[in-house]
Parts: sequence; C-alpha cells; structure tokens
Amino acid sequence: MQVSEVTKIRRKVLAEVSRMALEGDLVENIADILSTVVSEDGPRYRCCVHKERAVLKDRINMALSQPIGTPLTEAAGRALAGERADLPAVNLLPEACDRCPIDKFLVTDACRNCLAHNCIASCPKKAIMVVQNRAYIDKTACIECGMCKRSCAYGAIIEISRPCERACDLKAIVAGSDRRAVIDYDKCVQCGACKVACPFGAISERSDIVQLIQRIKAGHSVYALLAPAFIGQFGPKVRPEQIVGAIGRLGFHSVREVALGADAVALAEAGEFARAVPAEQPYLTTSCCPAFVAMVEKHLPDAGERVSTTVSPMVAAAKTVKEEDPSATVVFIGPCVAKKAEARRYPDLIDFVLTFEELAAMFVGAGLNVAEIEAGAHISVASRDGIGFARAGGVTQAVCDTVAKLAPGAELKPQRAEGLADCLDMLSKMQRGSLDANFLEAMACTGGCVGGPGTMADPRLTAKLLELYAAAAQVAAAPDNPAAKAENDLHRRKNSAG
Amino acid sequence: MSTLRIEVCLGTSCHLMGAQDIIDAIENLPPDKRSKIDLRGVTCLKTCRKGPNARVNGIILSEITPERILTVIEDNLA
Repeated sequence: MQVSEVTKIRRKVLAEVSRMALEGDLVENIADILSTVVSEDGPRYRCCVHKERAVLKDRINMALSQPIGTPLTEAAGRALAGERADLPAVNLLPEACDRCPIDKFLVTDACRNCLAHNCIASCPKKAIMVVQNRAYIDKTACIECGMCKRSCAYGAIIEISRPCERACDLKAIVAGSDRRAVIDYDKCVQCGACKVACPFGAISERSDIVQLIQRIKAGHSVYALLAPAFIGQFGPKVRPEQIVGAIGRLGFHSVREVALGADAVALAEAGEFARAVPAEQPYLTTSCCPAFVAMVEKHLPDAGERVSTTVSPMVAAAKTVKEEDPSATVVFIGPCVAKKAEARRYPDLIDFVLTFEELAAMFVGAGLNVAEIEAGAHISVASRDGIGFARAGGVTQAVCDTVAKLAPGAELKPQRAEGLADCLDMLSKMQRGSLDANFLEAMACTGGCVGGPGTMADPRLTAKLLELYAAAAQVAAAPDNPAAKAENDLHRRKNSAG
Repeated sequence: MSTLRIEVCLGTSCHLMGAQDIIDAIENLPPDKRSKIDLRGVTCLKTCRKGPNARVNGIILSEITPERILTVIEDNLA
C-alpha cells in the first residue's frame, strides 16, 4: 500500500489546514496552500498549474467541511465558526475527476463487421459507425450505456470499468452524462472504497479538523475515543503510549479505548444471540460496521431484522463518556470513513469523527513528532477480544468466547464476510437459508477495520502488531473484564436511527 | 566490506508522506545488495516539511521516493 502522490497532496492539505487553524491565521493564509502544495516548478499532474489549483480548491473545501465551490476565505471563516456543511461523508471533487478517458466500451478484433450491425442499431446516441471494416465507437458521443456490448452477437465489444466503479461493490458510482463520476447516495454506504481506488484523488471525505481544533482551543473537555486499529498506524517502531501521549499534547482532555466499548458490545451481542437465535430468528449479524448496516438498509432491507440491535463499539464507548461527563465533546478516531456517516445518527453522543490520517495531519500541523514523544506505559483496560474487534474474525472470536462463558448451551455457528460484495453474497445466502450458519460477522473492508480507508499502515502489518498488543491484555474475554460495563442500554430501538 | 549507511526519518511528518515505503524498498532489495546497507531509523532529520527524508552517507535527501532511493543506492554501490 504505497503512499501515492494523490495521497501525499491530500495529506499536505490537511496538515497545512491544521497548522493554520492551530496558529490562528487560517483565514489570512488559506490561499497560500494553493502555491505551497502546488508550486510553479513542482511536479505537474494536470494540464497546467491553474487546473492543479482548481482541483486543490476542491480539496481545501473538503478539508474544511464546506461545499465545493465556496471561496476559500469564506470557507475558512465558516470552518473557524464551527460550521459544517450538510455533506455526505464521501464526496466527488468535480474538478479532480478526469472523466476517465478509458474506452469503457472497446471494439475488439472479434468484430466481424457483420451485416446486422446490432451495435449501430442499438446505440441511442448514434455513436457507432463502421471504420475500416470494423465497428468504431465515437467517444465524444458515447454515453457508456452498454447497449452495443449487450447487442453484439459475437461479444466483440468489451467493457473496461473505471477504478471507482470497479471498487464499488454496490454499484453506487457511475459515469454521468458528461462522463464525470456520479455517486448515487441512495445506494452509497460511504465505505470509502472508491476514495482509495481513484488514481486522480477525485473522491474525498469531508474533514472536520478545523472545527475540532476550534473546540479544543475554546477549552472544551474533548475526549478521544481511540479505535484499536491505531496500533502501528504511525510506524512499527512507534509505541501505543506515544500515540496516546501525542493525542494528549494536542489538547484532548483524555483518551478512551473503543476496545472497551467493544467489550460491552460483545457482552450485549452475545446476550442478544443467546436470547434470539434460534427462538425468534434463524440468525444474527454483527452491527459494528456502519457500512454493512447501511448496506442492509439500502440493498437488502428484508434482512434488517437480522442485524444485531446492539450499537457499535464507538457508540457504546461514547455513551460511557457522556454519562460520566454530559458536557464532553466526543471524538472518534479510527480507520473508518463510514463512521462519519454513522456519527450523524448519534448527534447527542458523537461530535466528531477523525481518521488516523487526519489525526496524523493534526500532529504535523501542531509540530508534534509522535516518534519523539516520551510517555509512560499505556495499559489497556480492554480485553484481548475487545482489541481484536479491529481485525476480521475478531468480533466472531469475541462473541464466541462470550457465548461460551455466559450461555454455554447456545450453539453458535459463525460465518465471516469481508468486503461488501462478500457481505451481500453471504447475507443473501443466509436469508435463503442456504448456509449452515447462524451468526454472520460482516466487515465492509478487507481484513476488517485495519484495512479501512482512513489508515496509514499496511493492514497485514497492523493485524500482526494488533495480535501482539491484544495478547498482552490483562484479560482474555469480555466477561472476565470488570471494566466492561454492559449496564448501558446498548440496544437501539427498532426503526429508530442507528 | 564497506557498507552504505542509510538513515530514514521515522518522524510523523515523514511517515505521513510515505517513509515506510522507503524502508520497504530497501528491505526488499536482493540479499547481496541489502547486506551492503546499514539501514537505520531516526526520529527526525529536521527537514519536516520536505518529507520523506533520508540521510545517505551523511547527505540529507528530501522528498525521496522508493524509486529514487534505489537509484541512489545503485549509484553509491557501483
């Protein structure tokens, strides 16, 4: 997972925005980013410096959580005032989209220049003609509807999909009439896979770092909920306590483990399983992955009743903080973009969501070098299983271990799914009853949360480091953990947001 | 056998810009080349805004890429 030039530019923008917000000169200097990140003699990725800067303006608006096209000083002012536009978590940057001049439909040598010419007849835009004894697609007229491909008797016209389209297992991103990508938010679950896939960086998540920095500067009690996938995100040599220490240096009031929320979730979900399966329903799925939960709502609503009603570890951890300190500002820090959408459903519990990438940008903006932070040992109060939630298979292990301890009579037959296509496939099979399983662990990202779009480290490395970190936990499973409180009501009411 | 000392900055700013890719590129060299390199991680090379940074035989190289570090290694080992 190499850091591409696209990623570097996005991170530079986030770091510069953070630095200016922290130094208090964001409005005055926001436009400087246009010349510092894209210098006159720097590398050129677009046709000219003006195009580069036009794209950069879109990126800056996203970094400020403001609508695309907002003048930069106005956007900076609004961000400093704490305003956040009502934007989806994942957005298309229209200026950055290259309208991929990939020939989505390509006529191959298999074309026989047949008599029927079904391709020509089927094209609604008359974009196909015969040139040199072969069908030819005029790309300026083609709207990529695919009629020609479907109509060719020889299968001579092939389809080459764009990276963003290919990355989206739910077909939520398509080419618009001007060939620019369009996100269909009725289908999109904000997983961020398209953002990772786009080589032009034309898809980005909104960022609330400036609004958060303002909240910290105003002296609010800001609590960080740190997701367990944080292990290894700043390099294999950076210790967990250094990351926790650096968050404290940013001005956070305290750092709490989402893994502890995961322990509470394991207890609640295991109880729910033992109570409901098979007595009330044939199977239960996990509910900790917000992209999966949204996928069920939008693509397989019939299975909605099978999704655990237990809230996610983020929400469980936030509830604990809010009970302790009702005036707390709660910030989830994790690998996930879909959490930004999930947080909107819990405005009373979650104030901000940061990815690890955004956190790192804040560190850089503050001049904090995590590798040089001196901090005492960070003792996790979560169980091994709670920490394990961050990797694929972790939730299954946690629920299995908890069921074995609390409801030894219950028979749990787990099945796992990684990636939304796999999730959809497994869930459909379970709905049909064609899988010998009664518990589904569903993760939108390959590898689980450690493979999320907001990470900075190779998920294979993170998974290994996470295993070592989890092995050092003081207790193995949630029921053994006195710190795991399950007395919170961790079940959302049916038909309520969540 | 003389070795080529390469110090890669592991600071947060360089990490954000892909310092780990530089380390991986060196670690994945064929054994005969890798054995001639003394690879070390340092916490900061004081050139934070131009990361990722690496120091090769005492000279700081900024905005380094995996391709460029491999070229530098080839030139130094030749």
